[in-house]
Amino acid sequence: MASSDDNTEFMIDMLRECGLAHKTIIFVLEEFDLFAQGKQRLLYSLLDAMQSLTSQAIVIGVSCRLDADQLLEKRVRSRFSHRKLIFLPSSVDSLQRLMEHLLMLPEDSHLPTKYVMEYNARVTSIFSDKKFKGILNSLTDSDATTSHILRFLFRVVSYMDMDSGLLSMQSFMNALSSMRRQPKMDSLQDLSILELYILVCMHRLEDKEHSSYNFTTIMKEYKSVQDAYRTSDNYSHTVCFRAFEHLLDRELISFADKKGKALEYRPVKLLISSHELAQSLKLNTTCPAVLQKLLDRERYM
Amino acid sequence: MSQTVTPRRTTRSSASALSSVPAAPKYRPKPSPRRQLLVTAAAGPKDYDSVGELLDALPCRRAQAMDLIRLLVPAPALPLMLYGGAATGKTRTLLLALTNLRPSQRLVYASLRSLPSPRALFASLLSQLGATSSSTFSRQRLPEKPSDFISALRNALTGIVSQGEVVYLVFDNLDVVRSWDKGDQLLTLLFRLHDLLQLPQVVLVYVSSATPDAYYSMTGSVEPNYVYFSDYTVDEARDILIRGHPNPKLYSSFLSVALKPLFRVTRRVDELSAVLEPLFNRYSEPLGDLKAVSDEGIKRRLFEHVQPHLAVALSETFSVPMRASMHEIKDSGSAGKGSAKRQLGGREGLSTELEFHMSMSAKYLLLSAFLSSRNPATLDAALFDSTGGSDNRKRKRKSSQASLDMKDTMAEEMLMKGPGTFPLERLLAIFQCITSVSEDKHEVECADNKEPESGMTDLMSDVLLQLSTLCNSNFLSKSRSCPLESSARYRSNIDEDLALKVSISYLSTVRSLIQRHWHTA
Repeated sequence: MASSDDNTEFMIDMLRECGLAHKTIIFVLEEFDLFAQGKQRLLYSLLDAMQSLTSQAIVIGVSCRLDADQLLEKRVRSRFSHRKLIFLPSSVDSLQRLMEHLLMLPEDSHLPTKYVMEYNARVTSIFSDKKFKGILNSLTDSDATTSHILRFLFRVVSYMDMDSGLLSMQSFMNALSSMRRQPKMDSLQDLSILELYILVCMHRLEDKEHSSYNFTTIMKEYKSVQDAYRTSDNYSHTVCFRAFEHLLDRELISFADKKGKALEYRPVKLLISSHELAQSLKLNTTCPAVLQKLLDRERYM
Repeated sequence: MSQTVTPRRTTRSSASALSSVPAAPKYRPKPSPRRQLLVTAAAGPKDYDSVGELLDALPCRRAQAMDLIRLLVPAPALPLMLYGGAATGKTRTLLLALTNLRPSQRLVYASLRSLPSPRALFASLLSQLGATSSSTFSRQRLPEKPSDFISALRNALTGIVSQGEVVYLVFDNLDVVRSWDKGDQLLTLLFRLHDLLQLPQVVLVYVSSATPDAYYSMTGSVEPNYVYFSDYTVDEARDILIRGHPNPKLYSSFLSVALKPLFRVTRRVDELSAVLEPLFNRYSEPLGDLKAVSDEGIKRRLFEHVQPHLAVALSETFSVPMRASMHEIKDSGSAGKGSAKRQLGGREGLSTELEFHMSMSAKYLLLSAFLSSRNPATLDAALFDSTGGSDNRKRKRKSSQASLDMKDTMAEEMLMKGPGTFPLERLLAIFQCITSVSEDKHEVECADNKEPESGMTDLMSDVLLQLSTLCNSNFLSKSRSCPLESSARYRSNIDEDLALKVSISYLSTVRSLIQRHWHTA
């Protein structure tokens, strides 16, 4: 394994040789911002090596960050030519043109002509539909990048009707709804009643302005709720602790400190907003009414 | 010819062992026998039978299975991520779908929970692809750095893909990578594999219990398509649990009484099946033979029989069967219900007996540790004073509002902070106090005498050994040593219930000691 000095020397020699032979070298650095972390030795030696007269080389950096050139050190930036090409996300019209281009079957494909014509006619009629404009707008509202559109088109094609082999507006609508999941709300719908109790107790503690709370304080709140309302959901300490661990696994709550004492005494915090919790209680059909009441009471207090 | 591989029957044990690690190696493909089965399933196009059979083998996962078939089976495919809670059938659905419906495919499966490091992951993937031939050679050429791994992987895959096969790379339990050392780098690498490999015949599938927002990164990797596996509803859980049971009708009548209350506590099918198993045995006890139950009266009787056990099962996460209780219940036939209640401690389900054996000195030590942790050091003089009378002064003062508030805040602080730490000397001092006091129970000396008696030396000699045993069993834990003095500090981890049980058991042993002493004296 050669040292970096040996490698730098090798590169300078190579650049000189290629320059003498009138060959241009293009260096393409992807994820350029990752190269700009740390001491930037590679960038410096590369750009330095290109300073000599005999070398014909160019370094092109590709990055997702718009400020990638601001990350460079002073000595590296002085050797940088300050030429930036910014690729903006496409406009909605060009995205539509891209979608047409991708979805239409070419005339000379190996599939039967009648099918190709029927398919293309169907796709054109979908594109001219007003509903499709709505779908495209809502899609580009959240993310207008090409990869997002590609994923959407993949989903659309996966919803193709298997019998006729044609796309329909329904495929587009299904694809749109499947792209718009809300993972935290889905997890909240999957919780058991006891786990919901624990979340509501944590929410009450936060409302009562406890700056930090842990499992034992949550249990105290839970016991006080059970004493006040006498529900049938009064469970023991170990069972509640298991439900607490399930919530930790689902990442709906997490510890507020890095590492510390026993699990029951470490401070925890909620990772969902009160709005999400309220929404999920409303959507949950098996949720006992007392939980709703507990959550609502704090609103009006 | 569409003779497909018959999928494994969903027995309860396999359904319940889904998320645990030992299940993963069952699905690790061995090349030759699986290849043969797949070849026989190969020739014709996918027909409805195989899809139907697949859906039969995956109860209550119809929507997800259809999603998977839709998104995965036509290759080239964009990467796919399956996410959902534990024990929701992600791995099983994926592997069944892949092996049954896609004839000429190669499955490379890596369960990241069973692999310790990135290096092991690289080695496992490359060996499954057959890239490394002889073992000695492979040890030298095992890629350490990601760059070496990518080039080795690309070489291996290009060789396979050029023969017309489709390769599915499955990364299971992706969420454990986040806790690895340099886990972030590995995650970005795995998500970039689609771009880096640029091989359309390679499909990447990720399975994770964490939601997708745990994996968003700053790099421009291709985002996978997501398929969500929700938890089962009550009805779905009932269907799954009944499947494959030898006595479905009896079991369904049992589930109609037992499942709903347990479902309020936890929705995980593996935990439910572990709890329901012994309960069902109790439920069917009164019935001589396990025939179906048709009569309402019999159903009511069975329900009444199982109800106390159900109440107990709701209060514990796992039951420690006590051998004494089993004998008692077997012996006393019709009085079984009453004795079960007594033995299992009534509705709360807490036994007042200690379920395991501890030596006398260990019990003393544990109690002294509990006292040292729960009480501040300033109270020691008051608690262990020989006169024991300093409480009188405090009782005369009336409790004012301010002192009540202070008591509340101090109680809150105690709850928040947890048990305190204590140095070893304090523990030994309290230990000596307790043992000297207990010695006086069967010696007639005065309590002032704190020197170890002849009987005491037996207890004191192994106290440090007991201390290390208690630390290893997590009853005590060692915390950071005090910065002022370099002595080690300990903390007790037991709660009041266990301390109570230990003290009760110690009293009973002391009583038996006293009796023995009197008999020999």
